[in-house]
Amino acid sequence: MVLSSTPGDDERRPLPDPGLIRPYVDEPGGVDDRPDERPSGSNGAPPYPEPSGVRPYLLTGGRVRPVDASLEIEAQVKTTSAGRADAVRLAYEYRDIVLLCAQPIAIAEVAARLGLHLGVARVLTSDLIEAGYLAVRRPDAGLHQNKKIIERVIRGLQAIR
Amino acid sequence: MDSKPSVDAGNPKLQPPYPQLLDPRSERGPGESGDRSGQPPLPVKIVVAGGFGVGKTTTVSVISEIPLLTTEAAMTEVAAHIDRTGHVPEKTTTTVALDFGCITIDEEIKLYLFGTPGQDRFGFMWHDLTQGALGALVIVDTRRLEDCYAAVDYFEHHDIPFVVAANRFDGRLEHHLEDVRWALAVSDETPLISFDARQRRSVRDALLSVLHMSLARAEYSSVVG
Ligand SMILES: Nc1nc2c(ncn2[C@@H]2O[C@H](COP(=O)(O)OP(=O)(O)OP(=O)(O)O)[C@@H](O)[C@H]2O)c(=O)[nH]1
Ligand SMILES: [Mg+2]
Repeated sequence: MVLSSTPGDDERRPLPDPGLIRPYVDEPGGVDDRPDERPSGSNGAPPYPEPSGVRPYLLTGGRVRPVDASLEIEAQVKTTSAGRADAVRLAYEYRDIVLLCAQPIAIAEVAARLGLHLGVARVLTSDLIEAGYLAVRRPDAGLHQNKKIIERVIRGLQAIR
Repeated sequence: MDSKPSVDAGNPKLQPPYPQLLDPRSERGPGESGDRSGQPPLPVKIVVAGGFGVGKTTTVSVISEIPLLTTEAAMTEVAAHIDRTGHVPEKTTTTVALDFGCITIDEEIKLYLFGTPGQDRFGFMWHDLTQGALGALVIVDTRRLEDCYAAVDYFEHHDIPFVVAANRFDGRLEHHLEDVRWALAVSDETPLISFDARQRRSVRDALLSVLHMSLARAEYSSVVG
């Protein structure tokens, strides 16, 4: 499929084929409401790898909250050297993201710049993070209650004329 | 690339502040966790809420350092408590536009401003949007005060520091601020300000008053907790 590495030779997980997760758009009736959590190593021989629980989320058009606490929309992602190296071999949805994130940007920015639904951008970037192609920086828990951080933001804003 | 400043890679304190200026070769491959040298900035956010047409987009774009961006997000509405027709509780998903911009605060912190319409119903997306926010600016048009009730309720309930900001359309307010406070029934501790969404400094000051609320809360919880 899209990957160059042989499974098991490093920490990377294979990327799902984004073509297969396209049916993001709501499918009334055809909704899969299973919880995302699946026993790892289920032996149902799926037709494609399912590393990140993306499918139930996508099939339900966002109606089910992904179990692996979803990435914050402001989380910053940046392409790693592996991402740069393998970019040309990625399916184009993934490639676009890897090329876009040469400088760190937010998940919401990925969505906006590539014209993706926020939910789709979140899933695709999660895949890439898991595959080691994007580095991520998420807001720290408790950040919004951190006086030092707030004071720095105040100083930064005060500098605006 | 060769002009790369000399860096003692073993000592993180000596790392230069701007990660994007680093030689890409200093980055390691997948599986690494640290990658201190090329670490992306720390994102923080403020939510800009309010009814339709109150000036949210104007507010964000006047102060953002990048051209305003828009994305669509699915919003789950749990219709249970708003359905007056007696139907079974039902979930529906609508799509709302999310406007946003950002401001580089310093060499590490990046502030995002997310502008979104206040709906009567808040769901999934609102949780995502407000989770971890430093605070919120609730914009009101004093001619249509009721449009912001839902947002005010939401922030009060979720203990998110917020400021109510009346947008001075054409330089004037339809009501005195104290009348607005009365009409909205917000507590005396909630700052109520008037501002001009088209003036960058005015928006800056409105955001600063949100941050002072955030700071007050952080101080309060560090004393109490
Ligand atoms: N005269 C005047 N017009 C303003 C002011 N602020 C915003 N407007 C105008 O009011 C209209 C609505 O402003 P927006 O910033 O788009 O409001 P919004 O809250 O983003 O609107 P929606 O996204 O549609 O809910 C635009 O035509 C603005 O140019 C103001 O302070 N004075
Ligand atoms: Mg708008």
